[in-house]
Parts: sequence; C-alpha cells; structure tokens
Amino acid sequence: MKDIVHLVGVYTKTTAKSWFQYRVDALLRSLAVFLRESTGIIVIYFTLQKFDTLNGWNIYELLFLYSLLFLTYGIMIVFFTGLRDFGRTVRSGGFDRFILRPRGLLFQLIFANADWFAAVGHGGLGVVLFLVSAGKVGIVWNVWKVLYYLFAVAGGVLIQGAVFLVLATLNIYLLETGSLKELLYFNMRKFAGYPISIFHKAVQFIMIYIMPFAFVNYFPAQYLLRKEDMAGYPQVFLYLTPVVGVGMYLAAYFFWRFSVKYYKSSGN
Amino acid sequence: MSFIEVKNVSKTFCINKRQSGVTGMLANLFAPKYEIKEAVKDISFSIGQGEMVGFIGPNGAGKSTTIKMLSGILFPESGEITVGGLIPYKQRKAYVGSIGVVFGQKSQLQWDLPVIDSFELLKAIYRVPEEVYQKNMKRYTEMLEMGGFIHQPVRQLSLGQRMRADIVAALLHSPKIVFFDEPTIGVDVVGKETIRNFIRELNEQDNVTMLFTTHDMQDIEKTCDRLIIIDAGRKVYDGTLPGIRERYGTTRQLDVEFSLQQEIEPMEKVAVVDLGDNKKRFVFESHEIHINELMNQLLNRYSIRDMNISEPEIESIIRKIYSGEARDAKSGCKEA
Amino acid sequence: MKLSPYFAYAKKCFLGRSAYRFDHLMNILSTCLQIFIFWGIYRALYGGNSEVDGITLPMVTTNFMLSMGLGAVFCTNDYFLPDKIHDGSISTELLRPISFPGRMVAENAGNALFNLIFRFAPALLAAVLTIGMSAPAGAAMFGMFLISALLGYGVLWAISFTVQMSAFWFVNVWSITTIKNVFINVLSGSMIPLWFMPGWMSGVLRFTPFSSIYFTPVQIYLGQLNNWEIAEKCAVQLVWIVLIYLVGDMLWRKGQRKLVVQGG
Repeated sequence: MKDIVHLVGVYTKTTAKSWFQYRVDALLRSLAVFLRESTGIIVIYFTLQKFDTLNGWNIYELLFLYSLLFLTYGIMIVFFTGLRDFGRTVRSGGFDRFILRPRGLLFQLIFANADWFAAVGHGGLGVVLFLVSAGKVGIVWNVWKVLYYLFAVAGGVLIQGAVFLVLATLNIYLLETGSLKELLYFNMRKFAGYPISIFHKAVQFIMIYIMPFAFVNYFPAQYLLRKEDMAGYPQVFLYLTPVVGVGMYLAAYFFWRFSVKYYKSSGN
Repeated sequence: MSFIEVKNVSKTFCINKRQSGVTGMLANLFAPKYEIKEAVKDISFSIGQGEMVGFIGPNGAGKSTTIKMLSGILFPESGEITVGGLIPYKQRKAYVGSIGVVFGQKSQLQWDLPVIDSFELLKAIYRVPEEVYQKNMKRYTEMLEMGGFIHQPVRQLSLGQRMRADIVAALLHSPKIVFFDEPTIGVDVVGKETIRNFIRELNEQDNVTMLFTTHDMQDIEKTCDRLIIIDAGRKVYDGTLPGIRERYGTTRQLDVEFSLQQEIEPMEKVAVVDLGDNKKRFVFESHEIHINELMNQLLNRYSIRDMNISEPEIESIIRKIYSGEARDAKSGCKEA
Repeated sequence: MKLSPYFAYAKKCFLGRSAYRFDHLMNILSTCLQIFIFWGIYRALYGGNSEVDGITLPMVTTNFMLSMGLGAVFCTNDYFLPDKIHDGSISTELLRPISFPGRMVAENAGNALFNLIFRFAPALLAAVLTIGMSAPAGAAMFGMFLISALLGYGVLWAISFTVQMSAFWFVNVWSITTIKNVFINVLSGSMIPLWFMPGWMSGVLRFTPFSSIYFTPVQIYLGQLNNWEIAEKCAVQLVWIVLIYLVGDMLWRKGQRKLVVQGG
C-alpha cells in the first residue's frame, strides 16, 4: 500500500513537471478547461436573458442541473484521463510498454496520466455553479438530502467512469475512436445540460437507457427540485443513480479484462 | 540448460488491406478488404542463460512478433514459450520484472523531462531498492558516457544519446534477460560502437541473456555468438556466424589481372565480369568448380600478372538468403 | 509559383480521410446530433410562439443547420504547426522548396472538400428530412451565400493560422487553442443565434471577426440583407481575412527566426 502511494506520488510529480516545462500552457490549462466547459453555461445564460424559462426551469434551476454534471465529471477525470487518451497510448505503442511493466494495467493507465489540472477546471466549475444556484432553488437541506446528494455524486462519477472505460477499451478493436467518444460522450453530455423532457422521445430513451446521463444529473436534480416535468417518468428513477453506477462500472471492468486478452492475441 | 524455450510457435494476423486511388478510397469506405497474414510459422529454438543471440530477417519477417511473444505482449496462437520457467503471456507481473526491453523506434522516456526524471519514475515502477538503483545508474551511465546529458530534457537529445538513455532505462531493475529491438537504428558510427561495446560488456560481466534484432550486420558480427535468421515467418538458419559462411557462402570470386588485353573463352559454371584495365572477375560456386582446376586452366592458357581470391561479405550472403537465391552447400538444394 | 505540389497535398489529405471509415460515420452523426439538440432547445423555448423579435423558429433552425453544417466543412487543423514544432520535424519541413502556409491551405482545402461531400451533404440531408429547413431567398442570394461562406472559411482559417503561430513561443498551445475555440463557438452564432444576443453584446460583437464566420452567410441565405448590406458585410469579411492574416504572417516570420528546434 505504501509502495502504491509512493508510485502514485512519483507519477503525479512527473506529470506535473512535464506540464511545467511549458509554463504558459500549464497556467492557462485550468483556465482553458474552465472556459471551454463554461461554453454551455454562457449559452444558457444569454438564451435565458431573452427567454425567461425553459420548460418551466428558470436559470438557477438550470445551473443547478449543470453543476451536478461538472462536479461528477471533475472527480471522474482525475482518475480517467489516461482512459480519455488511451487511443493515443495504443497507437504510439505505449500500451505495449505498460504490459512490459510489473504493475496492474488499469492502475498504470489511470495514474500515469492523472490530469489534476483539468479536474480543477471541471470540478471548480461544478462547485461555482453549485454555490451560485443551490441557495436560490429552494432546497431545504437536511441530513437525508445531503446523504442523497453524496450518493448521487458517487453514482454519477461511476456512470461516467464506466462510459470512459468502455470507450477507451474500444481502442483495442478500432483504429480511431476519437469521434465515437465525441458522439457518445461529449455530444450526449450537451443534451444532459438541459432538462431531458424538452427533447424528442428517442433522445430521452438514449439518455435513460443507453448513455444514461439522465441518472447523472437530471433525476438527482429532480429529487431535490421536484419540477412538474418529472410526472413523465417513474418515481423509482429518482433513487437509481448509485445502482446504475455500480452496475455499469462492473460491466465496463469485465469488458476491459476481456479486451486485454483479445489485444494480446490480436496484436493490434 | 536452456533458459528460453520456444516450441512450435505460430501466429497469424488479420490485416485491413488498403487500396489506393479514388476508387480505392471509395472501396475502403464501403467494403474494406481483409487478408490473413501468417506472421510466424512453426518456429522453435532454445537459448541458454547468458547467451547472446542475434535475431535477423527482412522487414515483415516476424522478428517483432516473436519478440512481442517472448516479452509477453502477445499470446502465441499455437505452441509454447517458457522463459526461466515462467510463461510470459500468462504470468505477466512476475515475468516482466525480470526482463528489459529496448524498442529502438519507441522511446520509453518522458519526452519533455530530463533523462533522470524518467529513471526515477522507473525506479518507483519496478520497486528498485535505492542502493541497487544508485549502483546501476552510476555504472551504466559511466559505461555509456552519459554524464553530460543526464540532466537534459529528452527532446533535446540526439538520437544516439536518446538510445543510450533508453538502454539504461531498460536495465535499471537488473533484468536477467534483455530484448533489443533495433537498438542502433539511426545512430551514427561512433554511437553504434559505444552501444555495441556496452552490450558485449554487460553480457560478459553480468551473464545477462540477450536477444537482439537489427538490420545492421555489423551489430551482429561485433556482439553475437549465435545467429537466428527468420524469413517469411520461418526459421531458416540457427547457428554461429562463421557457420553461415560454411553453409551458404559457397560463392567465390577470383580477380585476375592479365598481362595483355585478353578475350576469354567461355567456361562452364563460371561467370566472367570485365573490370577494365586487363582485369577480369571470375565468379563461381566452390562446390561446383574446384579452385585449383580453374587456376590451372587460366595459368595454362593466358599470361597472368596478378590473382586474388575472395569470399563474399556476410551481408551479401544474408541478402541472398532473404531473396531465396542462397544454396545450402550441404544439401545442395534451394532454401525457401 | 508551381501549384502541383500543393494540389498533391490537398489530394493526399482528401484520400487519406477514407482510412478512418468508422470515425467518419461518427462525425456525421455528431453534426446531426448537435443540430437536434439546439432544435429541441429552441422548440421548447418558443413553446408555440410563431415568432420572437420577428425571428421565426424555422429561421432559428436554419441558422443552426447552416452554421453547424459549415462548421463541419470548415477544416482548420489547429495543431498542424504546433505538432511539428513540438516533435522537431518543423526544421526538415522548412527545407522543402514550398511555402509552408501554402501547404497548410492545401491540406485544409483537401479536407474541407472531403467534409463537404461526405459530411456536410449527408448531415444536412438527414436534418432537412427530419426537421425541415427554410429555402434560400432566391438563386442570386444562394450564390452570394456561397461566396460569403467561402469568405467566412477564410476568416476562420486566418484566425487558426495566427493562433498556431503562438507555438513558436509557447510550444504547447492546447490552452490557447481551446480558449480561441470557446470564443468562436459562443460568439459566431453557431450555438446561440446572434439575433438573441443581449444589446450590449451585439455592440461588442461588431468590433470582432466572429460574426463574419457563419452569421453573415446565414443572414444572406435567409434574405435578411439587401444588396448594399451584402456588399458591406462581404467587404468586412475580406478586411478581417487580410488583417488577421497579416498579423499571422508577421508572427510566422518572427517565429522562424526564433525557432528553438526540439529534438534532433
């Protein structure tokens, strides 16, 4: 255990040092992530200046919905940057190198690249949005709601981690998956910034059953806000986030294990 | 006692075949074609502890695939591999701690950082004890004359410097076996010499087992006692370096300088090349024509000023083996 | 100046794209999806109103389809020069007897042509069939739209070109590039139609090149501008291209002198 902590420390030091070779970029990195991820929020802000509500949600409620998305992503990305960039790792032969080292593959993949800067950008945005909105959406916080919130965040982290793990694993089978990730993850996440009830039924289906972002932020936000459009969904969805998270992560992990075996037999 | 044991190993790949041109592009877009390639076909060999083996073959012959199987990156499709009693592709974590791999084409160093930072990271990854790390680093950096650039970022190093740093990186954890995949590629003559001497020394002093792929025959001549040649996935030769001359190097050339301008009558099984200035070269196979016979004939018929007989360069023999022209002197038949 | 090597680069890029078949399909779907998202949002925002500030829902949808469609065509490889500086290959690239910026144009043009045929066309077709789109305001206007779109690409390309030059000084330019793209996304009208920008923002935007990229062609397509206004807006596009490119070119000259070659 001490050995693992030590290695994580060395990995982190090495990554940070690499970044600080290019000072301007390192300093701008968190700011850039912060701004890029703010894009959706700036757009919502300008839009709601013109139109007061979106399907009954006011600007603060929409920001609260967004905050959950970013908080979970910020926590997740600390651990999964290596998975985000796994395609490059495979193509450059870096994965072969991981296999040649006497450490767990997933462990190396996670910690050799942990992106603390991006995490500060994303997580910071989540915290800012939470602070701005939480006081103005009429939630009366008590122990149960705080507990609910923590479980919902943990579930949201696992759901997104599982999606990243599956998408990374696909690199073993496909030459280039950047745009699949763009489509399935980043574009679907753009939907998730809004109450899913405004979208076509097909989109809602995808958001609930296929790329279940609805469980990352929409249903947890609904549990706390109780907007009218919740009437269109089963009440049980409000409580499923942690279950979905654990289930998806386990499935993703087994897919990963299976694929590493495949890699060793096909050679990419 | 054999340390590395490879038995009847085969491996096939499925490859997406790209077509060129505009119609080819459309074809790729809608109906990609695949072909099955047998990278390694039924290869067997064994290597003893402390042996230094050169592993050569033309591009695409299956060298890298074999190295990848030996180092545990790939499963063999059929056959068995054991190294020091372990099965590389099954007991990964236990196995890879005892091997080092240098890919000449792919550095494992941190591109943006000083060399020493990569070493520190590897020390943590391989759990190298502090004393061992200090001892190894000191010894290897001295042997490879790296003192001057160990604190420089990798991106500023020359190819030769980077390669030396990569070699040390693969050795910090005192591996028992080291695989070198083209360790001198792109390195200048002096750099190559340093690397070869280092490898030789390491093998002699520490009894490290080494397997070495390269395209540069001098690497092999200067470092390896034994040579395995593979071509199109098959092993075509396994033996010593002098042995290869005995077996394949049957071509001889006799350069003759005549006193006068001479017309030479054609001779059976001897090719004549005009070198100008009354000089001619006679090329023949030593098992077909006896050298005495040819010289007698020439001395009897013509007035000769000078004669010189030579054996072919090892490199040209190997080129012939690849192209399938080489004849096996013992069996007298063509090798595939 | 011989054009054949540039043509060869363009062709290489065009053909090279076919290798990533699966990726390509995903790109088309991505573009469609983006259009669907904004269509969904604005349908909900309009909530049955036929128009807001004189802008109808079909006009809003057409704005999204055109600007996102063009966004899919307009290829600027933001890391073309930075990558070459980072890995050191810039030094050998500069030895070739061709203009490096010219080569950048050629490669981007090859990609853009590929995008136009295999990405824009199918994505737009899918969107038109499912959502529907306003027709152009006449054939002449459509012609002017094409010209203006080309100029819009020029503005976008010049911005990318100039920002890439910062790599000579910072080497790693991911952050700068990302921030540049945030500005383009928010202010060019591809995510929020510029009609709906608050008044003070519209004032600021008049002094930036962003509305020249997509919004000018869209306005022409929808017939919102008279001939005089079209001429004026296109002239503004041209001025931006020249101005930004001149800055980029100056940086390019200075950068070459400053070049700290990485690696071998």
